Amino acid sequence: MSLSKRTLAFSAGFSIVLAGAWGAGLAAEDPAHQRHEAMETVQESFKPLRAIAVKEAPFDAAVVKKNATTILEKLKEAHGLFPEGSGGGDSRAKPEIWSDRAGFDQAMKDAQAAATAMAAVSEEAAFVPAMKTLGGACKGCHDKYRLPKQ
Amino acid sequence: MKLPSRRAQAAIAFVLAVAAFVFWWLSRPDPLPASAIPVHTPDLANGEVVFHAGSCFACHKPKEGAAQGSLPSGGSPFKTPIGVFYPQNLTPDAETGLGRWSEADFVNAMTRGLSPDGRHYFPAFPYMAYRAMRTSDLLDLRAYLMSLPAVKSVAPRHTLPLLPVARRGVGLWKRLAFARAPYAPAAEGSDSWKRGAYLVNAPGHCGECHTPKSLLMVEDLGRYMAGGPHPGGEGKVPSLRGLVERRKYKDAADLVLALQNGEELGYEDLSSGGMGQIQSNLAQLPEPDVRAIADYLVSLK
Repeated sequence: MSLSKRTLAFSAGFSIVLAGAWGAGLAAEDPAHQRHEAMETVQESFKPLRAIAVKEAPFDAAVVKKNATTILEKLKEAHGLFPEGSGGGDSRAKPEIWSDRAGFDQAMKDAQAAATAMAAVSEEAAFVPAMKTLGGACKGCHDKYRLPKQ
Repeated sequence: MKLPSRRAQAAIAFVLAVAAFVFWWLSRPDPLPASAIPVHTPDLANGEVVFHAGSCFACHKPKEGAAQGSLPSGGSPFKTPIGVFYPQNLTPDAETGLGRWSEADFVNAMTRGLSPDGRHYFPAFPYMAYRAMRTSDLLDLRAYLMSLPAVKSVAPRHTLPLLPVARRGVGLWKRLAFARAPYAPAAEGSDSWKRGAYLVNAPGHCGECHTPKSLLMVEDLGRYMAGGPHPGGEGKVPSLRGLVERRKYKDAADLVLALQNGEELGYEDLSSGGMGQIQSNLAQLPEPDVRAIADYLVSLK
């Protein structure tokens, strides 16, 4: 009896782990989920930059470079995660991403160029203009190609 | 099948005629007479402030790629679940814009939702909010629009089912909608808060999206600024209540930065769903006005 109980508990635990791993695997393969994660990282990396822009933190070229580089990498990663047919459901991707693919690709490239420029900012005077260009690129793309929150 | 008798036919025709008359009578326009407009010396600078506070350009922008793209010459599609509206040309062109509009024409459009020839505007044009605007602000706004370069631009026809009947039917809806007083904020508060209440509720027309509509398509004031389905049909509009308590913004000063900079400073909630364009308009307001809007909004619990 005690053995069968243990077996039962073990198999139950095992199935839960298996189901969890399967779910995580599904999520990992889902481009909508992956690009969302990448964008979350972009947003996190934006916070230290905003703190500098609103003078909550001192200008520090190393902090700028580190975060801008992360933003650039994640933007590139996200850009590759918009295959045809990956909209709908919980995704905030608008159909215009695919009906106006050239416009979307250009907006993504503009954002990457702005992140590249931000990573190269070494003096404080250039920081706020670089910030406006980078944030403006995010905004331009989000206004056109992202739905309001679901 | 036998046709109804002549008598029955006459009776049906009579009932239909009466119904048509009642519809026509109840949906008739109710314009303000020109004599109701006070004499006013317009203040162009204030007119420009009102223009940005109302985010007029967000809807009345030209279609993408048009020459003189920074002028409110209209024609850009405004998509809703019932059809696509094409907001009209607000530049002073005589043929296609506001060039020939009198002050009374303008005030009637803004506060009664009526065109100069007495047709009803659909409430996608937010006159329900604008009716709470001060006449002096309306006349300043008109003067500002008339000071812009004239652009010739005809907006395409709205793509709504049964357009002429629907348009006349707006008159019936107005009887219900106008019977309700506009939202009246409390009379007490700092001067900045009062200014904010006016900007948000009258020219700003924030409630048009942020307050859900009741079944009668009027704002459900029990859920004032509580957010709801996006009127464009996709996604949601966030609640503006408890913005600080829910940690959306640290304080009023943080909200000021958000309204002035939007996503340029990483405030990503201020993009998408049309809010990005509203924010770009609000960013052009004088700082004390943005501060007033923030003071009022953070007070909504």
